[in-house]
Amino acid sequence: MLTRGTLIYIGQRLVLIVFTVLVVSFGVFAVVHSLPGNAFVSDRVHGTALQILLHQYGLDQPIPVQYWNFLKGLVHGNLGVSLYIRDLPITPLVLRELSVSAMLGGAALIVTIGLGITFGVLAAVRQNTWVDYLLTSIAVVGYSVPSFVIASLGILIFGQWLNNVSHGAFFYPEPWTGTYGTLAELSLPAIALGFYTSGQITRITRASMLEVIQQDYIRTARAKGLENRIVIIRHALRNALVPVTSILGPTVIGIITGSVVIENIFGIPGLGKEFVESIFQHDYNVTVGVFTIYAVLIGFANLTVDLVYTVIDPRIRY
Amino acid sequence: MKPLTFRFRAVQSAAILGGISLLVAACGNSTSTTSGLAASQVLKFPVYQTAGTFDPGQADAEVDTEIMQNVFNNLWRFDDNLNLVPDIATTVPTQANNGISSDGLTYTVKLKSNVKFNNGDAMTSKDVVYSWNRAVALQGGYASNLSAIAGYSAVQKAAGAPPSSSSGAGGTTTFRQNIENKLTANDPAFQMSGLSAPDASTVQIKLAHACGWCLTAWALQGSTGSVVDQKAIASDPVNWWSKPVAQGQAAGMVGTGPFYLAAYTAKQSMVFKAVSNWWGSPKPTLTEVDIAIHDPSAIAGDVTAWEQGNFDLIGYGGNSGNLTYPLIQGIKGNSQFASQLLTKPKGRTTWLSFNVGWTATGGPFVGESAAAKGLRTAFALAVDKAGLATTVCHDVQCAPATGGLITKGLVGYLGDGADPLSKFDAAQAKSLLTQYDPTGKLTANLKYSYNAGGLNDPVAAYLQNAWQTNLNVKVTLDPSSDASQFISNRLSGKYVMSRDGWQFDYNHPQDWFDNLWGSVASAGGSNTSGFIDPTYDSVLKQADQTPLDAALPLYKQLAQILQQDVAYIPLYYSVANFAIHSYVKGAGSNSQADYYWNETSIQSH
Repeated sequence: MLTRGTLIYIGQRLVLIVFTVLVVSFGVFAVVHSLPGNAFVSDRVHGTALQILLHQYGLDQPIPVQYWNFLKGLVHGNLGVSLYIRDLPITPLVLRELSVSAMLGGAALIVTIGLGITFGVLAAVRQNTWVDYLLTSIAVVGYSVPSFVIASLGILIFGQWLNNVSHGAFFYPEPWTGTYGTLAELSLPAIALGFYTSGQITRITRASMLEVIQQDYIRTARAKGLENRIVIIRHALRNALVPVTSILGPTVIGIITGSVVIENIFGIPGLGKEFVESIFQHDYNVTVGVFTIYAVLIGFANLTVDLVYTVIDPRIRY
Repeated sequence: MKPLTFRFRAVQSAAILGGISLLVAACGNSTSTTSGLAASQVLKFPVYQTAGTFDPGQADAEVDTEIMQNVFNNLWRFDDNLNLVPDIATTVPTQANNGISSDGLTYTVKLKSNVKFNNGDAMTSKDVVYSWNRAVALQGGYASNLSAIAGYSAVQKAAGAPPSSSSGAGGTTTFRQNIENKLTANDPAFQMSGLSAPDASTVQIKLAHACGWCLTAWALQGSTGSVVDQKAIASDPVNWWSKPVAQGQAAGMVGTGPFYLAAYTAKQSMVFKAVSNWWGSPKPTLTEVDIAIHDPSAIAGDVTAWEQGNFDLIGYGGNSGNLTYPLIQGIKGNSQFASQLLTKPKGRTTWLSFNVGWTATGGPFVGESAAAKGLRTAFALAVDKAGLATTVCHDVQCAPATGGLITKGLVGYLGDGADPLSKFDAAQAKSLLTQYDPTGKLTANLKYSYNAGGLNDPVAAYLQNAWQTNLNVKVTLDPSSDASQFISNRLSGKYVMSRDGWQFDYNHPQDWFDNLWGSVASAGGSNTSGFIDPTYDSVLKQADQTPLDAALPLYKQLAQILQQDVAYIPLYYSVANFAIHSYVKGAGSNSQADYYWNETSIQSH
């Protein structure tokens, strides 16, 4: 239940999100507009024709004026029009791409949390056994190797060495076919994106579980004759997850930002790929629009995680 | 024994029949009609660029026009051999058929009576007048194709500069809506005085001055000469071109061509469907054309998909340069597909431009002094163009440019080996360098600027090596990762030596000589080398106003002026490569564009 304090906290955070979005979007707006070149110039479009196009799309106006126009559109949910595909409304395009990215991000989050917590619990329960050493080693490898290396390895193994076996089953169809990736298609990029953060979660879960299972109430539960499985899952895990939630925020942010790299490596037609392409294409409105969406997503991800704390640990109040 | 033999033969026959049945079953899509056509007439291919616009009034790129030539029609068009043939008009006007007045200033064009838009509207001469006035008012990249018509400048002045966008597309909408409003109201300020529709089937065009190239320029497909439907555009002046339609539907992307846009998802796919009972000829056999919009990095996977039959061809839509040499070799090396690789000359020439006239940029090549021309000649002669084509293009992706700037096969080509700048003479090159730069001071710290990617990188490395080897001059390479910035700098004369090139729009020398050198190009902001010469300007003006046959010697003279001035180093002519399955009949390309889809069919296979 939302208390008055929580509502005030949410209000404050929303204001902060708006402020962050304004700062971030203006920064990106100013930077991309100051890059040399533009979306229109070509051997055929130059001189007067170019000036007319720049004028037509307001690109010859001062940056603050252009930004103000962008903001006016933004409050109406209008991110403007693409310059690369002239006049194409951006909002439906990026929302479609956001849904692709969300699919990938969700899968990566499942990998992160699923692997991280499972490995962490098993390592703690089997402390100082080969299971512990193996899973801890995997975790170390996980957070030591950047996601793009894992992605490249995945492509090398499944796309090159095992291509005759996999027949491209692990690769996202391009372009977006109107349907989302299958489990097989999602698996490689999701693992590449989630493996790094799953290592961190493994470590924290293991440490937290080791601390919790030494507690008196756990010993009491065992003394009462409860099965070890129930003691671990029902009594130990919930308390052990509190520290884990503390890094969920950075984890989600890592997945969102990491998706830019992974989508480009795997050619997944999501927001991250669009972001990079739009920079090269000088499609300013798309670049700023995508970055603004990222800022909003990260802001709301942080807020959501903060609110989840209160559910998992009732001691936390806002 | 007899029954046994009979049984064996029966089993043998059954086995053969079964085998045939299995074979037929395995070739699932080989169901054919009696005429040899496949049951499915859906053509599938990928493209690697997203079209910027399909609005003929705004289109300015090959990827736009290559597709749109199947949706819109012009008064006349290019056939597969780049000859002008009637399209919407009954004939291509000439003085002999009284289509052009004796002074060459008035064109009378009769239209076919059965032309219809795919929404069912009849197309009349008023649609031509509307389309051309609209294109001029919009002031897109190809608006100048109509610049010889009387009243051109007045309409552009009346339309004015578009108002700047106030919120995204706001300004654009206002600008285009204003044009639509004025055209709908028949505002005289938005009507070229030289363009009229005396009756429903006649268009009269009066020129401000004689024009030898206009007939050709007006034929440029999917561009300012194309006819659009006012009613369809009025419903959404900004985004009408991206809105799929159903046949007979009033609004959306409506044209008179044999295909219409049935589905469009930006950056994903386009589906075009054949117009049933289309007015023109030949009637489309294909029922549908499915285009996947892919990232260029997907080309290798697409070749595999093509080999597996998932695509019928690769290279259409302005993407004939996307097949890399290893992929071409892979196809050539496969006995099953080697014969399905189509190699055609592409109407594009690449050369190196010297800074000849931009004094602010400077460099040793500026001006008409003996030293400047001598050094330009030295750098030109030091490059083995045939070696470049072999080393860089493996004699597959390009051919040495030896016949002038206009690509081989086009009107204005000078002939093999006719360009003296195409020669390779290392000894003379070194001699000239020693003569005009004995200390090496003038040619120290030279840079060759180019946009990175494709053949440009290996070409740059080849040139650097040639100058180093043959002239002992070290030229620094100056690649630009941003093509638009490179083009901007190049067009404004900021480079001492830069990669340059041109892909022809229509098959007329004017397309080259107006746009690239001299005062006309300077006024248009596209004179890379800064080359300006009163004689060139004078001959160009005369050539442009002269019918093509008589103008050819004049254009040849222009080419020679550029050669004598050593304004450039010819490098190579591009070669287009297509992968087209043998069962796709009628598919192919000339040096300008893909063959029209309505000439294509899919044979049973």
